[in-house]
Amino acid sequence: MDIAAQLPLLLGLAWLAPLASFVAILFFGPRMGPHGRNAAWVATAAIVTSLVLSLFAAGAWLGAHPVLAAHHGDGHHGETLPTEQSAGHDAQSASHGESHAPVAYAGDWYTLYQGGNLRLSIGWYIDALTVLMFVVVTFIATCIHVYASGYMHDELHDVTDHEVHLSGGGHLHRPGRFPRFFQALSLFCFSMLGIVIAGNLAMVFIFWELVGICSWFLIGFYYERKSASTAANKAFIVNRVGDFGMLIGLMALWGALGTLHFADSAATPAAAARPGLFSLVRPASGGHAIRVPDGMVKFAAAAEVAKTPAGEVAGKIDDWRSKGLGRWLLFIAGVGIFCGCVGKSAQFPLFVWLPDAMEGPTPVSALVHSATMVAAGVYLVGRFYPVLTPDVLLVIAYVGAITLFIAATIALVANDIKRVLAYSTVSQLGYMMLALGVGGWSAGLFHLVTHAFFKSLLFLCSGSVIHACHTNDMRKMGGLVRVMPWTAGTMLVGCLAIIGAGIPFVIGLSGYYSKDAILAQALSFAQANPAHSILYLAVAGGAFLTAFYMFRLWFMTFAGEPCDHHVADHAHESPAVMVAPLVVLSVLAVAAGWTLPGGFGLANLLEQARPAGTVEGMAGGFAFGNLVFPAEHLSHEGAIHVTATLTAFTTALAGVVLAALMYLLKIISPAVVASIFKPVYAFLAGRWYFDELYHALFVVPVLGIAKLASGTDRGVIDRIVDGLAWTARQLAGIDAWIDRTLVDGLVNATANATWSAGLELKKLQTGHLRQYVMFIVVGTVALFVLASLLFRTSIAG
Amino acid sequence: MDSAASLTQPALWPLTAIVFLPAIVAAFLSLPIVPKARDEFIRWATLLTTAVVFVLSLWMAWPQLFGAAGPAQFKLGEPGMQAVVKLPWIKAFGIEYLLGVDGISLPLVVLTTFLAMLAAAASWPITKHVKAYHVLFLLLETGMLGVFVSLDFFLFYVFWEVMLLPMYFLIGIWGGPRREYAAIKFFLYTLLGSVLMLLAILMLYFTSDLRQLTPEQLLASHVVSPALDAGAQAEAVKVIKDAKAPIHTFNLLALAQIGQLPASPFAATQLWGMSLEKWAFLLLLIGFVIKVPVVPVHTWLPDAHVEAPTPISMILAGVLLKLGGYGILRICYPICPGAGLDFAWLVCGLGVVSMVYGAFAALAQKDFKRMVAYSSVSHMGYVMLGLGVWSAVAGHEYRWDAWAQGVNGAMFQMLAHGISSAGMFFMVGVLYDRVHHRNLEEFGGIFNRMPVYSGLAVAVFFAGLGLPGLCGFIGEVLVTLSSWNYSRILAVISAFTVILTAAYILWAIQRVYLGAEYKGPHGDHLTPITPRELAIATPLVFFAILFGVAPQILFNYVTPSVNRQVETLADWTRRVHDAAPVAPAVAGVPENGTGRTRIESDGVAVR
Amino acid sequence: MSGNGMLGSGMAMIGPLFAATADGVSVTHYLVVGAVLFTAGIVCMAVKRNALGVLMGIELVLNGANVNFVAFASPYLRGQGALSLGIDGQVIALFVILLAAAEAAVALAITLNFYNNHSTVDIDRADDLKG
Repeated sequence: MDIAAQLPLLLGLAWLAPLASFVAILFFGPRMGPHGRNAAWVATAAIVTSLVLSLFAAGAWLGAHPVLAAHHGDGHHGETLPTEQSAGHDAQSASHGESHAPVAYAGDWYTLYQGGNLRLSIGWYIDALTVLMFVVVTFIATCIHVYASGYMHDELHDVTDHEVHLSGGGHLHRPGRFPRFFQALSLFCFSMLGIVIAGNLAMVFIFWELVGICSWFLIGFYYERKSASTAANKAFIVNRVGDFGMLIGLMALWGALGTLHFADSAATPAAAARPGLFSLVRPASGGHAIRVPDGMVKFAAAAEVAKTPAGEVAGKIDDWRSKGLGRWLLFIAGVGIFCGCVGKSAQFPLFVWLPDAMEGPTPVSALVHSATMVAAGVYLVGRFYPVLTPDVLLVIAYVGAITLFIAATIALVANDIKRVLAYSTVSQLGYMMLALGVGGWSAGLFHLVTHAFFKSLLFLCSGSVIHACHTNDMRKMGGLVRVMPWTAGTMLVGCLAIIGAGIPFVIGLSGYYSKDAILAQALSFAQANPAHSILYLAVAGGAFLTAFYMFRLWFMTFAGEPCDHHVADHAHESPAVMVAPLVVLSVLAVAAGWTLPGGFGLANLLEQARPAGTVEGMAGGFAFGNLVFPAEHLSHEGAIHVTATLTAFTTALAGVVLAALMYLLKIISPAVVASIFKPVYAFLAGRWYFDELYHALFVVPVLGIAKLASGTDRGVIDRIVDGLAWTARQLAGIDAWIDRTLVDGLVNATANATWSAGLELKKLQTGHLRQYVMFIVVGTVALFVLASLLFRTSIAG
Repeated sequence: MDSAASLTQPALWPLTAIVFLPAIVAAFLSLPIVPKARDEFIRWATLLTTAVVFVLSLWMAWPQLFGAAGPAQFKLGEPGMQAVVKLPWIKAFGIEYLLGVDGISLPLVVLTTFLAMLAAAASWPITKHVKAYHVLFLLLETGMLGVFVSLDFFLFYVFWEVMLLPMYFLIGIWGGPRREYAAIKFFLYTLLGSVLMLLAILMLYFTSDLRQLTPEQLLASHVVSPALDAGAQAEAVKVIKDAKAPIHTFNLLALAQIGQLPASPFAATQLWGMSLEKWAFLLLLIGFVIKVPVVPVHTWLPDAHVEAPTPISMILAGVLLKLGGYGILRICYPICPGAGLDFAWLVCGLGVVSMVYGAFAALAQKDFKRMVAYSSVSHMGYVMLGLGVWSAVAGHEYRWDAWAQGVNGAMFQMLAHGISSAGMFFMVGVLYDRVHHRNLEEFGGIFNRMPVYSGLAVAVFFAGLGLPGLCGFIGEVLVTLSSWNYSRILAVISAFTVILTAAYILWAIQRVYLGAEYKGPHGDHLTPITPRELAIATPLVFFAILFGVAPQILFNYVTPSVNRQVETLADWTRRVHDAAPVAPAVAGVPENGTGRTRIESDGVAVR
Repeated sequence: MSGNGMLGSGMAMIGPLFAATADGVSVTHYLVVGAVLFTAGIVCMAVKRNALGVLMGIELVLNGANVNFVAFASPYLRGQGALSLGIDGQVIALFVILLAAAEAAVALAITLNFYNNHSTVDIDRADDLKG
């Protein structure tokens, strides 16, 4: 079977398997064994199927496009097989040295809407990144499914929820919801894989929303808890704020270009072949350099186009483009799509939902809110990279930098173990965004993958701890290394991985490679653009903070003496079904960054999918001055690499040492430090008061406007309508009065007059014959007199 | 037409049966031989009637369902009017019994029959004057169906009014505590609309002149029945062409043809400084937007919904609101294209204002049903916006497919909203039947008490929220995406609405279904969903999912007709509207083929 | 013209009659007699309270008219060549007499009846039918 047909089939099935599991559990969940125990098996079987299929797909991919040792800069990135994506450009870009489009397979399964040339569809876009993400997502999901089948066993029987206080005074007692958890988890896996495989932005948006609602279900899993349902709503609504921006981006693209497909689509019987977004923005004819597409130029120059005769429009486009028309549109499109990523990946200013999302069960936090869903934003930026202009990238870099700094500072003082990890997630996502923003496409996505492993590991470890201690508060823990050696050990691996521990220039954990790559690229960028060197400082400072808070967490939890003996006595090592995933994940947290002899490694695999036109770096920008994005391979060389690695090592070491001084050796008292920097501490502990700020800035006014609108209806519009009705009634009253008095009066008066005239005339009817004779005589005489007076002439002739 | 021949028209009996069967059964039920006390019999008879009508409409819409397709059944992909029935009615004024369906009206007919069936099933809890209720209910169904299938403006108006009266009584007698107020408010609002509409109808009628149309146009608009043989056709055309005085017409298709003529008498006639076309458009628009409804003529809706009994709310939200959108699409734009173009800002603006205002108002409601009612205002705003962007992009390139997307989206939104809003009202009704209050603050914990019901309800509410995979998403996205080409500002505002929608729906779900315990009165009445309720809710949820996953099912019907109409009007814009001031014909094809031009050598493209 | 001022204008209208009968007794004389009878009858009807008196008055009036009929039937007044027996007036007068007889019979019967009911023939008492 041709690889172009094989991959969509394999990955499509891998994508749909969790959906089947979702449907099965939806209808038959409670009947799957006692309390739906077997739902876990169904869901796990589905995700294992996905994993196996993904691995097959990866194998097929590697078979067709073997990963070789990287030859940076010579334009070779894997194979340049003629594919749907690259076939059209081979003729133009045959000469080496120009950048090639990456190998990708794209197509459509299913059309949602077609009108004229506009088409919304469900399709695939498969390149090395897609395959890699499939493997990573399904792998982590498998680990977490296994882990959750142990972690969620409480839900197999009736549950007493101690966090819910009923009005009667007791706690809530409810049946377990074991199948429902796996049902939502399956739906989530389906949605997440849908984002990964999506062949166009509309499909991304569809699954973007779907993961959002899965997240809503999972955060609100304990929906009896007010805090959980509120957190779920907050997550969804904040995400919708991001989606609002994303919609604007979609509109800007769709309105001007009429397509949302990433790749060029081949001709079908129904439609002609059409270029996709990537080749519209980075046409092969221009060496894949960014260029404002004709559609956008025309859109921005609508007034000019209207004045231009039809035949001459095409000739003037270049002229208009050189005047800068349409570049704002491209900027808006990029920033708009990035807004969606800001929401989903919990970037500043929309990161506030993620820490609250920790209300969900811990496996959810591990899968959804650290490893996969929140990484979808980063993934999308990576996927959408060819369309992002230098200005957009700078925005992304700064958003990432701000996020990583804010989140890291809050993590310093948080005491809830899951919140520390949540803020650490936000901070790491900031790292990735920053990396992408400074031109480190590969570095950012590399960190995405490694982070997925070690962060899910960290979350699962924290879940294991919570499972043992029944509390999230680190101040009540301590000394757990003795009772939970496996958990402590794997978590240490995770902490080391996240701070990027390693022996400089020799070997390290996975984070060592990805973080170094980010640091190096940031340094490289800072050198090329001295005005933006603060980005490098943010990265370096962030590395220090990361090391500090991660080891603070580890020391507070596992080291030293138990703080709360009640908790410590209760603690126990988790069952094997939970520990096994920890071990598997910790192996990957260590090794995921390694490049095997022969060149096989994630970094080189990613290079296969590197967007066309980014190999040699790029330059440009109109809104923020000229920006230079150095090529990524430059950051692996010489001075930059050495400086970055040493910086990373030193800062991380400093962080660990400081944490050890404060929390392990207790030489510096945290309490004293807190009291010295009291305002700062309060500010950080209050999480920079973002929640309060947003509440005052957005929630209150929105509710106010809502009240106003509702009040306007009742107070103004209804008043007017009622007033009109009242006026009509009054008018009707006047009308009735006129009827009764004037019109009826006239009629009655006539009748009365007739009546009284009759009465008067009656008097003449005396009954006296003699009078009648007199009347006749007198009358006759009178007639004669009258006739003689009036008709004399006429009768006499 | 020869009357013997006219009775053999293939669609005559099927269409007539669809429209009038409910009325006939209503007449039968109202006879004294049906004892008032036999409630069950009356209910079953009504349900059976609505079911039969539903199957009939399905038979028309889905020929393959029952074997080989007959001549009266709908041919998919055919954009024009089908199953046309034409009988003379009031000859003195050229009023005809002219019925027909196309891709725009047929899905709405099926939606109506479907919802009427579910609403009939949902009418079981009605115990007051059961006989009268069902008689009125069936009359209402006849009225609604008649509006969708009539192609004669007078007939349209008659059905429009037929629909109004039963609704008034259904709200005013079987409603809640403030039913009289709500019913009168509903009646006055809609009556105002009807009166303005009547004015416009007469204006158009007396300005129209069939002699201006070519023989082909006369045939296409069924003024001269295409079913006649060639000789009879020629004779009929000759009669019209040779007439000494203008021949007025109520035929909607013919009026559209006349309105799109280069020398349209509607555009040429001036009245108090505006063309008659514009007056007619505005009058009709007011009539229709009251039904839609848009801000600021929407306040009848919350009251009517809150007071109406559950099945009537379902019909009201599911079908009646669609009549406004349908009217704008079928009548306003084709007949008054020039005014449609000039007033596009008005239509779009009203749509966007409704979207935002309705969403904000929904956010502030304490009454569950009122919140759902305001969500209808917000959702129908999308319909207006989608219809409005339609004629609006006439700037430099005739991107008819972008307009078509808006109209298709609006049509889809109407159908989707028909399902989701009917579902939402039903879900509210299920709770109200049990605990007899609708205060959002006094619910909570329903999920644990009524799990199956809550699952279905949440699905329906998510459909209203516009979640992908459910029916609400497609329409909203298509409309929003299409609006960018018309106005960036309106597009951004409409995109902003998605946040508010999420907010009010999720907040309501949280307050009603989630939470630990029920906080209101009659908690012990929260019994699980009954089989009858399940039988109503399940189809709604099923279709909400089906149309969300496979929108093509609907688009297969809608798109050909909508595209044809939009293409025709796009063509009209270039040929008539823009040809007048500027000479150069703009026929540019955008480089990536997103626009397409169609040049007709003569005459309006045949609808 | 002497005497009857009341008929003066009427005389003026039929003025040519006098020229035709310049000698001896003319139609005018008959007419005067008729008028006198008529006037006497009228006066009788107007002043008599006795029903029989009134009946007599009626007879006078009728006979006054008869005189006129006969007078106008005079050959002097007839045009030449008219197809007639020359006794039209007399025939009509006979009819009138006949009618008068019938009328008198009926009237007397009424009066008798009235007398039986009211014991009087005073017509001023006979006002039962007034409105």
